[in-house]
Amino acid sequence: MRRVTTLAAAILAGALVLTSCGGDDAAETTPKDDTGTSAAASDIKVGLAYDIGGRGDQSFNDAAAAGLDKAAEEFGVETKEAEASNGEPESAKEERLRALASAGFNPIIAVGFAYSASVVTVAKELPDTQFAIIDDSAAVGDNIANLLFAEEQGSFLVGAAAALKSEAGNIGFVGGVDVPLIHKFEAGYKAGAEAVNPDIEVQIKYLTQPPDFSGFGDPAKGKTAAAGMFDNGADVVYQAAGGSGGGVFEAAKDAGGFAIGVDSDQYNTADPAVQDVIITSMLKKVDVAVYDFLKTVTEDNFTAGPLTYDLEKDGVGYSTSGGQIDDITDKLEEYKEQIISGEITVPTE
Amino acid sequence: MAVELTGITKRFPGVVANSDINIAVRRGHVHAIVGENGAGKSTLMKILYGMQRPDEGTITINGHTVSFSSPSDAIGAGVGMVHQHFMLADNLTVLENVVLGSEPTRGGVIDFGAARRRITEISDNYGLDVQPDRLVEDLGVGDRQRVEILKVLYRGARILILDEPTAVLVPQEVDELFDNLRELKEEGLTVLFISHKLDEVLQVADEITVIRRGTTVDTVDPAQVTARQLAELMVGSELPTPETRESTVTDEQVLRVADLSVRATDGRPLLEDVTLTIHRGEVLGIAGVEGNGQAELVEAIMGMRVLSGGVVHLGSKDITTWSTRKRREAGIAYIPEDRHRHGLLLDSPLWENRVLGHQTERPNVKGQWIDRASARRDTARIVEQYDVRTPGIDVLASSLSGGNQQKLIVGREMSGSPKVLVAAHPTRGVDVGAQAAIWDYIRDARRNGLAVLLISADLDELIGLSDSLKVILRGRFVADVDPAQVTPEQLGSAMTGAGERP
Amino acid sequence: MSVATAAPRVDLRRLGITIAAPTLAIVFSLLITALILISTGDPVMSTLDQVWAYGKQPRVIALTVNQATTYYLSALAVAIGFRMNLFNIGVDGQYRLAAFAAAVVGSSFELPKPLHLFVIVLVAMLVGAMWAGIAAVLKVTRGVSEVISTIMLNAIATALIAFMLREVAVEVAGSNNIGTKPIAESGALPGIPLIPESPLEVFGFIVVAALAGVAYTVVLGRTRFGFDLRATGHSESAAVASGVNVRRMVIVSMLLSGAVAGLVGMPQLLGGASRSYSLDFPAGLGFTGIAIALLGRNNALGMAFSALLFSFLDASSIILDINDISKEIVLIMQGTIVLSVVVAYELVRRYSIVAEQRRVSRQLAEEQASARPKEVST
Repeated sequence: MRRVTTLAAAILAGALVLTSCGGDDAAETTPKDDTGTSAAASDIKVGLAYDIGGRGDQSFNDAAAAGLDKAAEEFGVETKEAEASNGEPESAKEERLRALASAGFNPIIAVGFAYSASVVTVAKELPDTQFAIIDDSAAVGDNIANLLFAEEQGSFLVGAAAALKSEAGNIGFVGGVDVPLIHKFEAGYKAGAEAVNPDIEVQIKYLTQPPDFSGFGDPAKGKTAAAGMFDNGADVVYQAAGGSGGGVFEAAKDAGGFAIGVDSDQYNTADPAVQDVIITSMLKKVDVAVYDFLKTVTEDNFTAGPLTYDLEKDGVGYSTSGGQIDDITDKLEEYKEQIISGEITVPTE
Repeated sequence: MAVELTGITKRFPGVVANSDINIAVRRGHVHAIVGENGAGKSTLMKILYGMQRPDEGTITINGHTVSFSSPSDAIGAGVGMVHQHFMLADNLTVLENVVLGSEPTRGGVIDFGAARRRITEISDNYGLDVQPDRLVEDLGVGDRQRVEILKVLYRGARILILDEPTAVLVPQEVDELFDNLRELKEEGLTVLFISHKLDEVLQVADEITVIRRGTTVDTVDPAQVTARQLAELMVGSELPTPETRESTVTDEQVLRVADLSVRATDGRPLLEDVTLTIHRGEVLGIAGVEGNGQAELVEAIMGMRVLSGGVVHLGSKDITTWSTRKRREAGIAYIPEDRHRHGLLLDSPLWENRVLGHQTERPNVKGQWIDRASARRDTARIVEQYDVRTPGIDVLASSLSGGNQQKLIVGREMSGSPKVLVAAHPTRGVDVGAQAAIWDYIRDARRNGLAVLLISADLDELIGLSDSLKVILRGRFVADVDPAQVTPEQLGSAMTGAGERP
Repeated sequence: MSVATAAPRVDLRRLGITIAAPTLAIVFSLLITALILISTGDPVMSTLDQVWAYGKQPRVIALTVNQATTYYLSALAVAIGFRMNLFNIGVDGQYRLAAFAAAVVGSSFELPKPLHLFVIVLVAMLVGAMWAGIAAVLKVTRGVSEVISTIMLNAIATALIAFMLREVAVEVAGSNNIGTKPIAESGALPGIPLIPESPLEVFGFIVVAALAGVAYTVVLGRTRFGFDLRATGHSESAAVASGVNVRRMVIVSMLLSGAVAGLVGMPQLLGGASRSYSLDFPAGLGFTGIAIALLGRNNALGMAFSALLFSFLDASSIILDINDISKEIVLIMQGTIVLSVVVAYELVRRYSIVAEQRRVSRQLAEEQASARPKEVST
C-alpha cells in the first residue's frame, strides 16, 4: 500500500505539472484588463469562450482575440475571455457559457467546434442571449450565428500557386489532424493545383488521427512528414498543421524547397530563419469574422444562421509578403475572380 | 583495549535482546563472538555500529567513552562494519563502489586518480588483491567481500566488525578470508568476528566471547577450549528443558515426504532427496545450522515452493500438487519462521489476524462471507485461552509484543483441530514465559494426536520436544538422532560440522 | 482477562486520526492558495466569497454532483487496485476504450430501454476489464510491472480509438467534430431532478455509482474474496503463507478494476446530450481518479467526499476564469491537496502505530501491576 501511495503521488505530481503546462502559455499572456478603454463607450458586454489553448496560441485563438481587441477599441465594448480546461466534459463548456451569460455578457462568441453542442443547449435555455460559434454550422438556433470560412477557396489559390511554382510537378500537403475541417484545406489545395497542372502529383499526409490532437502541436512530426515529401520529389509543401507547421518550414529549408503557410501571414510570424522558404500563406481571417460579427451586434443587426467568409467577403485569401509570388499574382487573381463569379466551384472534400 | 562494552542492555517491546553484556577487545586481535541464532549477536553489533542505541551501558573505543547515534558516528570513531549481505552496486566498478558516499573531490570534481592510488595502496598493504577497475558484477563472492572490507578500510576504520562473513563463502574462500584477517591483525587492526561455526572460530580467533540468551556467558582462549566445550557454553544447560515425558507416537502415518528436491532459480540444489515421515502424536525435530534447507523444506510442505522432485502425502492422499490453501484446509497448520512477514498482517486488528490463513474455515466465514461476529468471538477465545496479553481484539497486531503475537499465531493454528503442525522456530524472539507456554501447547496437541514438524535453532527445545530428530546439512538429512540419547553439545557438534558424531 | 467481543464500537480516537490527515491537507493547500493569491495581488477573502457564492447555486451544485459521479467511479476503479497494492494507472485508457466500444455497439441496434442500457453498460465493463486484464496477464506471466504496462496500454488505447474512430466515425454535418453514431433514444438514461431549483438534472448513473460504492465496501470488507485482496495488499508474503493464490488475485482484481473503469465514461455517454463518443469526449478522468482515491484513502465514503471536492474545485475554475483570476490556481490547489495528504497520511500512520503500541503496553502494565507484584528483572 505504501509503495503504491508514494508512486501514485510521484506520478500524479508529474501529471498535474504537465496539465498545468498545457494551460501555461495562456496564463502567462493573460490579457491586460479587458474592459474597453475607447472613447466610444458602449454598454455591450462581449464574452468569448475559447477551447483549450486560449489567447496566446499563436494561431486560431489569437486571431479571434485580435478581432475582439479591435472591436473593443473601436466600439468600446466590454470584453471577457474564458478558456476551457483539459479534458473537461461538455457540461463544463455549457456552464462556461451560462456563467458568462449570467454575468451579463451578451453576445457570447464560442471559438471552435468543441462548443457546438454546448452552444445549442445553452442558447435554448437563454433565448435572449446572442451566440456566435466559429467553424461550426451544426449548432443551429434562433440566437446562434455560425461564423464559417471557405478554407477550400483560399486553399485553392495557394494550391494553384504551388503548382505554378513547382518545377518538379510534385507538391505536398501536411495536415495536422485527420478531421473534416482539414479535409477542406486538402480538397481546395488539390483542386487548385490540378487546375494549373492536371498531371501534378500531390502527396498527402496527416500527422495524427483524432482524437489524438497532437498533430496540431508537434513540429518534429511536421518536419519528418515534410522531409519525406521533399525526399519523394516534392518541391512545395503546404501545411495546415497549426503548431506543427514550423517543422514543415524547417524541412523545406533543409531540402531547399518551398513551403506555404496557413491561417495568418506566416512570412511575418514564423522564425526569421525560415522566412525565405514561405512563398505565401493561406489566410483565414478569424479576426475579421469576429470583428464583423461584433460590428453587426453593435449596430443591432444580429443575424442568426450561417455566415461564410469566403473570397468574396475577403474572409480567406493568400498573402504576398516576401514577394516570392509576385510573378504569378495575375494568374491567382484570375482564379480568384473565377471562384467569386462561380465559374469555378471548389470542392470541399 | 580497542573496544570495551560494559553493561550493555537493550530492550524491545516484550523482549530483552541484550542484557548486561560485557566484552573487552584487545587492539590487534581477532575477537570472535559466538552464539546461537537469536542469541543477540546482531543486536549487539548494531549497537556497536551505531544503528541502535543501548538502553543501558557504555561503549569505550580506544579508551574514550562514545555514544553513537548513527553509523557515520561509528565510522568517524574508526569502527566499520562488513555486512553479511553485501551492499555493492553491481553495475559500478570496484573503484566507484569504494568511493561511493565519500568521494574525494578536487575543485568539485571527483578525483578518481587519488582514489585509485589509495585503493591500490590499501589493497597492497593488507594483501586484499583488489583490482579497482573491474565491474562488481564480474566478481565472485570472495572478491566482493574483499571489496566490502576495503570499502570500510578506505573510510579509515581501524576496528572491523564482520557479521557472519563465512556464511556465503566456500571453504577455499574461507581460508583466503582468514589469511586476510591475519594480515589486518598484523597491521594493528582489530577485528570483531561474529559466527556460529565453531571450527572456524577456533581456527582464526585470538579470543572468543560466548553469548547466550542475550548476555555474555564467558570469554575464553581458543587454545584452551574444544569445539565441544564451546558448544556447551553456547547452548547452556541450566535452562528449564522442555522435556517430553511419555511417548505418544502411534504407527499411523500422517505426513510423509519422499525424495523431495528443491532448486534455486539458478539451478543450485537447496534440498536434495529429503525423505521423512511423521506419525500421529509424533514430534519430528529438524536440527541444523540456519540456511541449510530448513526454510525450503517448510515451504515445500506448505505448497509455497515449486518442487523439482518428490512427493508429499497427507495421510493416504497425495497432496504434492495441492495449493497452500487446500493443504491448510486439509489440516496442515503452520507457524512460520518470520511471523512479521509470513504470519501476521501487522496493520490489521487481531481479529482479522485470527482469520488469516483460515479464511475459508468456520468460525471465520459463512459461505463466501466473513462472519465477523463469530470470528471476533473466537479471537477472544484464543486471547483468553492462550493468554495473549492485549487490551482487546481491535488493537493492531503490530502493537503486541513478539511473544504475544506468537501466542496469537499458535492459538490460531491450533484452532480447528489440525492434523499436522509445521512449526518453524515457534519460540524465537519470545520471552521465557511465553516460551514455556508455547511448549506446553505443542505437547498437549501432540498428546491429542497432532503430528508436528519442528524446526528450531534452540537445541534444548529440539531435544526436549522431539520424539525423533534429523540433522540437516546443505539440503540433505545427514543423521538421525535419538533425542533421548543425545546431549545438546553432541547435537550442536553434529550440526556445526565440528566432528564428534553421536 | 476479559476481552471485549461486542461489535466494534465506533472508535472515536481512530476516526479522529483518520479525518485529521485530509483535513490538515486541505487546510494546508488553502493556505498555499491564499499565499499565491496574495502574491498575485488578488484579494483572498473576496475570491473565496465569489467561489462560494457561485458554487452554492443549484445549477452549479448539479454540475458538481455530475462531475463527481464520474470522478467517483474512476476513483473506485483505482482504489480496487490500491487495496491490493496494484497501481492501475491505466484506468484512463480503460474507460476511454470501454466508452468507445460501448458507443459503437450501443449505436448499432435498438432494444427495449432497460435491455439496451444493460447491454451498453455490459460491453463497457467487459472492454474495460479486458484492457486491464492484459496488464494483469503480463504481470502474472512475465512479471511486467503493472505501472509500466498500464501506461503503455493508455497510449495504445489512444491510438486504437483513433484508428477505429476513422473506420466507424460519422461526421456531424457542418461541424468539425466527428464521433460514433449517436445511441438511439432507447439507450438514453434519463436524469434525476435531484437538486431543487436546478435547471440541470443529475445523471441517472449516479445510482449505479452509489451502488458500486456500496458493493465495493461490502465486497472488500465482508467477503472472503475481499479479505484475501486486502491481506495481499497489506503483506503479500503473509497472504501467500495464508493460502492466497496471489497470481489469481492479481488477475481478478485487475479485471474488477478494469470493469469499474469501464463505467467511468457511462454517465456522460448515456446521460449526455450527444450520446456518442466524439472528439470532445472527456479524457484524463483516470488520473483524477488516482488523486481522489488517494485523498479518500480508498474508503468508499471518503472518496465520495473527495470526488465532490475535486469537482467543486473544477466548477469554481470557471468562475475564477471569468473573474480574471488565473484558474490554474485550482490545479495548484488540487495538486497541493494530493501531495500534502500523502505526507499527512504517512505521518499520521506512523504516529498512530507508535501511539497504539504505547497505549497497549501502558494498559498491560497497569493490568499487570494491579494483578500481581512485578517480577524483579536483572
